Parts: sequence; structure tokens; C-alpha cells
Amino acid sequence: MGKAVVIGSGAGGSVAAMELALAGWDVVVFEKGPNRFSNLGGEGPIGTMFSNDDLKMGVRNFAGPDPLVFPRTWRPNATVPVQYTGSVNDLPQLVGGGTVHWDAKVPRFWDIDFQQLSAIGPVPDADLADWPFGYSDIAPYYDEVEKLIGVQGDLRAMPDIVLRHAPRGGQFPMPPGPQQRSSVAVAAGAAAIGLHPYPFPMAINSEPYNGQRACNDCGFCSGYGCPVVARPAALIPLRLALRTGRVTLVPETMVTRVQLTGSGAAARATGVGWVRMTSRGPVTGAEGADLVVLAASAIETVRLALLSAFPDASGKLGRRLMMHSFLDGTAIFPDERMHAYRGRSTTQCAEDAADPDFPGARAFAKANGLPYIRGGIMELGGSQDPISEAQAYQTLLGLTRPAKPFGTDFKQLMRSSILRDRLAGCSLVGDDLPYLGHTVTLDPTVRDVFGLPVAQITWSYGKYEQVAQQFWIPQVKKMMAKAGAAVTLAVPDTFNSGGLPTGSHVMGGMMMGADPATSVTDSYGRVHGLDNVYVADGSVFVTSGAHNPTNTIMAVALRNMRHLAG
Amino acid sequence: MPAGGSAAAGAAGSRPGSPRRRTVIRAIPAAAILGASGCTAPPARPATFQFFNSHEAAVVEAATARIAPGPADDPAEAGHPGAREAGVTGYIDKMLATLGALTGPAPIIFAGGPWSNRHTSGPDLMADFIPLDPVTIIAWRKRLEGWRKQYMEGIATLDSLAGGDFTAAAPQDQDKILARQEASGFTSLLFEHTIEGLYANPEYGGNRGLAGWTDIGFPGDIQPRGYTPDQVERSDGRDPVAATGIVADVLKLLGVV
Repeated sequence: MGKAVVIGSGAGGSVAAMELALAGWDVVVFEKGPNRFSNLGGEGPIGTMFSNDDLKMGVRNFAGPDPLVFPRTWRPNATVPVQYTGSVNDLPQLVGGGTVHWDAKVPRFWDIDFQQLSAIGPVPDADLADWPFGYSDIAPYYDEVEKLIGVQGDLRAMPDIVLRHAPRGGQFPMPPGPQQRSSVAVAAGAAAIGLHPYPFPMAINSEPYNGQRACNDCGFCSGYGCPVVARPAALIPLRLALRTGRVTLVPETMVTRVQLTGSGAAARATGVGWVRMTSRGPVTGAEGADLVVLAASAIETVRLALLSAFPDASGKLGRRLMMHSFLDGTAIFPDERMHAYRGRSTTQCAEDAADPDFPGARAFAKANGLPYIRGGIMELGGSQDPISEAQAYQTLLGLTRPAKPFGTDFKQLMRSSILRDRLAGCSLVGDDLPYLGHTVTLDPTVRDVFGLPVAQITWSYGKYEQVAQQFWIPQVKKMMAKAGAAVTLAVPDTFNSGGLPTGSHVMGGMMMGADPATSVTDSYGRVHGLDNVYVADGSVFVTSGAHNPTNTIMAVALRNMRHLAG
Repeated sequence: MPAGGSAAAGAAGSRPGSPRRRTVIRAIPAAAILGASGCTAPPARPATFQFFNSHEAAVVEAATARIAPGPADDPAEAGHPGAREAGVTGYIDKMLATLGALTGPAPIIFAGGPWSNRHTSGPDLMADFIPLDPVTIIAWRKRLEGWRKQYMEGIATLDSLAGGDFTAAAPQDQDKILARQEASGFTSLLFEHTIEGLYANPEYGGNRGLAGWTDIGFPGDIQPRGYTPDQVERSDGRDPVAATGIVADVLKLLGVV
């Protein structure tokens, strides 16, 4: 065994570090952001600086990155100039990565997600392809990840359609926790329109697990770091890695280049270059390595590959960026306070919309010139906190009271809480197809705090996503009306963002595949043309599926790194 | 363009990048109706400020009390504390002043954790502010320098639109000035910071006596206690909202979309 460098400490990087260290490799894990946890490599509960603080997380972005030093740019397509510079679907930048701010929802991808091209067929304009493995190949790794990080759920409550497309070998490691009033109410509406809601599988401890505490339903969940570390996720494989004594975790240090040598079949990495900010300015350094694993999340991994001039025989490096196609549903209950601020951020889900054969979906697709459409998993019953609620009223007052968009009207809205305590929403996480024109490239002008080109995102919904949204919008509204909401509203997330993606799900750019002519990494995530460089994050995804991606990132990383480590 | 790429959506997209996807709803099409109010307000503020001089503080106090009025500012707010009572000016002053303390042990940027002493005995761990890493210091220096400049220019604009002294203008005139095009950028920033000073955890200097949370029936931070399964699952019962005035108008607007 030799020395490995792992870039990133989130869902994929933590698993890579664990597998390599357990196999005997010496590992250095570089993390661009800080470490907000204590006792990571020790015994017993992990400590944290996270708290029930909306300003710290929702406004000041304690989990980073700060767009004033690490911006991105965005344009909807390649024919127009950049339209926005700032945060573009940033994932947290700190030890633990995206598993810090998530609410830990871990549904599995379906069998047809891994074989979308052969099982359901091509879609015009999309670069659809099958994954180099199927559901039955990845299922044991899902099982292992669930046991590793701790997942709650109930096999007996899962509907046939889910078990048919994503069969499970057995029960979840932990039972579901309390079901939120808001989620149960919207789930009743879902059942009333023929959907099959069930307790959302989530990597949250409903009882003590891994030496960490049980969740106490504080409600500061989606978008927050957990104050009691009841959803440690990546911190568990990181802990197991650190406990081998062969792993060094280096926070606040950004890898800026993978150093390559040789060419053609002899091309390989010799290590990485890094930069770290100090009070006296940036300091740079290098770390030699026999093996380099990129796990900086889809967009940043592609950026690093471009900064390092990776070979790109297929021409697909940085292409096929996928974000998920989100619908935001709003249900207002004027007669009841639904208190979605208590509990685990949407405790019910329904997966029916991921089915291309949902009644009416095929006909709607055909009427719009498409072979089929898919929505995706629905998260039922979420809301928001007072600061974001107030920001919503600030905007709405500008529309309804332009002569005086503030004052007692603002405070009356806050007391009515129609957009917080009386709100129970629905987020639909829809299939976002891979398009060659949806890309991560290096921005020609905008630089980060270290002077390096930032990621330029070119992305917008294609026809497939828009038609699927138009099919599902009335269904979501009907569901919420059946739930008893007096006012229902459903819009694509981009309706409120001016076109920017908002869902914090990023996938693609380094797609896996057996053929170097049509993929960027091989069937196990090794970069074609670079013998000792692997990718272990969501960038290797071939399709986006129609489900929250993080447990799939971990399962795929586990499969690929175990193959590598032997 | 994706569906819904309307002008209203574009205008509402001025605050992207929130990590919370379930922040459903930010805006919708246009419909213009007028509001009304107006009354005088007595002075009541902390004795000293770290960043503002006394006039600057008085302008910010007067303006934020128009944005989020309390009992003394609007008869409709009897019994309902506003920006003045919650200490919003102090919140803003503390934030702008911390520019000089960014490299120190406890800049007022990120409150500590994992909890306060509101639901447990022992120290208020949120009161221990977290030191910043070098990259974050650079970002916040840039942000706070920008805001300081906006406040100095904005206060001057409000004074100028009031003919010299914003605090001397009648409340109804202050409302009109805050709604003027020339002041709109600053009013928007003041609104954002008023929201934070009302509803953020009190360790940041606002939400005095939990005035902001109490007025809206929000319990705020709840660790290490959390909620019981019954509190999560039960219906709290029928509690109809008074769907009149602005509440009715917003419900109507949202129902139309």
C-alpha cells in the first residue's frame, strides 16, 4: 500500500478515506472548508458548533462557502452571457460536506434509474446512457451504507411500487420517528389522489446509534447542522478512517491542481498542489501521492479536473451537469397552525411521480412530443423559518403594497404566519436529464479569493423537465387541496429564482462508463487515461435519478473504492 | 428559458443561494393596493452605540420603526413590540461595529453552539461567538465595508429627502421617503436587517427580551430539550386566521397564481 490523497470530506470523500485506510493506505484528506466538529476521531459523542440559529445558517451561511470569496457564475445556455455571479447551488464547504446541512433523506434510486436508456428509452436532445451496473449490483452497498451511518424507516410501510423498483433485503436499522402533523396532513392528500405516501427513510437516529444521540425533533433540520449530531452521516466513515491512525484530515486547505506526469497510457498523477489562506496571505504547498481521489462534489471536482488539464478523450468532461428538476408546492391552512417547525423536516414522502407509467403521464408526454416523462420523489409537509418567511413577505409587500411595502402590514403578516406556521409544502425532486450542453467550465473572468478561475454553470430546464413539471403541477395542487389546504400553489423552483437552479443537488460532469470514447471515468470511477486518479462523488452519476442523491453517492463510492482497495 | 421566467420571478430572484430548498414561495405577479397608517413615536434607545453617532442611530431607529412599527409607532400595533422595542438599531450597530473585531476571538458574526440557556441550566453557549477562519475574515470584511458605506450613504439620502433631518419628518412623510425610488436600495437593506434584528437569536443583539419571537408565537431555539413525539404529531386544534386586510390580499394573490 502507498499513500493516497482524498480531496473533499463529504459523502464520497469520507467513504473513500475509510475504505482506503482500512485497506492499509496512508491517507491525507484535504478539505477546503473548516472543521466545525470536535472529537471526530475519538470515542463517544461528536461535538459541534451547530445550533438552532436561522441567522447563522440561513442568512450568514455558517456552513459555507461564502460567495464573496468563492463565487460561481451562471447562464441558462451557451448563447447568452453570464447572468449571475454568486452562489449557484453551492453545497456546504466544511468537514462533512453536504451531509452537514441536509435533512438526511435517503430514498434509493430505482432500477430504471440505472438503466434508463435501455429500460425506458431515449429522449430527444438528451445524452441518456445506462450506468455500468444495475440496481442489484448496488443494492448490497445501499444496505451497508444504511447500517454504517444509521437509517430509520419501515419496510412494512413501503408501498409496492417502491419495493418493486428498489427491493430491499430487510428492515431498516432503526424505526421511524414521530410523524410531523404537517407531513401526515399532506400525505393524506397524496393518498386521496392515488399516491402511496410512507415514512421517509432518513439517516437520522431515532434511537442512539454509532455512539451518537437520538434525534429530539428540534425542527432545525433541513438547511441546518444538527446540534446533537443525531445525523452524523459522513462523520461516521471519517471517524472510522481517523481511528486507523493512517489518516490525516487537513481542513481549510484547497487543492488547486492534481499534478500529472507522462502522457498517453503512461499518464498518471504524482500528487497535488494546495493553497491555504493565513493572516499573512495565501500559502501554497504540495503533497505527493500514489493515488488521488477527487470527491469535492460534482461542480468543484470538474473545476479541479479542468484546472489540472485532465485528458478528455470523450469530450464529456464537465458535460451532462444535472441538478434535479424541482417543483415547490405551497399549501396554506388558514384554520390550523401546522407547526412544521417541530420534527425532522418532512417525515413523509411519495415516490409515485418517479414512475413514467403513472396514469396519464405517457399520454401527456406524447401530446407534447416526448416518449415519456418522469417527476420524482415528493417530500411532504415542509415549511420555513421566521427569517425566510419575513423575506417572503418583504417581496410580496412590494407587489401588493408598492406605496408602502412595510409597516403594520408586514407585522400582521408575520403574526398570521400564513407562510410558516400555517404552511405545509411539497418539494418534488424530479428527474433532470443529462444534456451535453449543461456544463461546468472555467469562467474566463471571475476568480476566487486565491485568484483561480471559478466554475461557470450553464444549465436550465429542458423540454422534458418542463413538460414533466406541467404534468405534475396540477397533481401537486390537487393533492394539497385534498389535504385540506385553502390556498395551493405549485411552481418550478426557477420561477422564484430567475432561472437559477436552487435545489442543492449536483450530479454529473465525470460520468462513468466502460467505453473511454463515451465516458470520463471507467466502471469504477477511475479517470480514463489516468491510471491512479479516481472520482468518488456525485460527478460520476450517469443519470440524476428522481430521488435525493446522497446515499447513492455513498453507495457508489463504497462500491468503487472497495474495488480499488481490494 | 425555463417556465415561469417572468419579470416578477426575476425580481424575486434577488436573493438566491439560500441553502433551504423548502423555503417555498417568494413571489408572484403584480397587484397594487394601498395601505395606510401613521402616528408619532417617542425616543427610547440604548445609551451608547459603537459604530453610529447619535444622529445616525436616530435615523436608523426612526426608519426601522416605520418598517416594523411597535405600539408607539402605529395604533394598529398596540400590544405588539416592533423594531424599537426589539432593539433593532442596536443589532445593526453591533454588526457594523464588528468589522473592527473580525480577526479577534469573538466577532459578532456566528453565534456559538450547540445551545443557549433558554431551555437548560448552565451557560448560554450561543453567547460565545465563533472565531473566523482567514478566508471567512476576508469575506466579512468585504461585506461589512460594503454595508457601512451603504448605511452612510443611505442615512444621508434619507436626511436629504427629508429636507435635512429624517428624524424631524412626520411619520407619514418618513413612510413616503422610505418608499421613494431614490431610497429603495437602502430601504430594502434596512428591511432585511430589521427582519434579522427582530427574529434572529437574541445573542446577536436584537430580538430583545425575545420580543420578535413572542409577537409571532415562535418558540425559537429549543435545544437541548427538543419536542416530544406528541408535540410533533398532534394537531394543535382549530385556530382560524383573521383573513382580513393584507392577509386576505396576500392569500388572494397566492390563490390566483
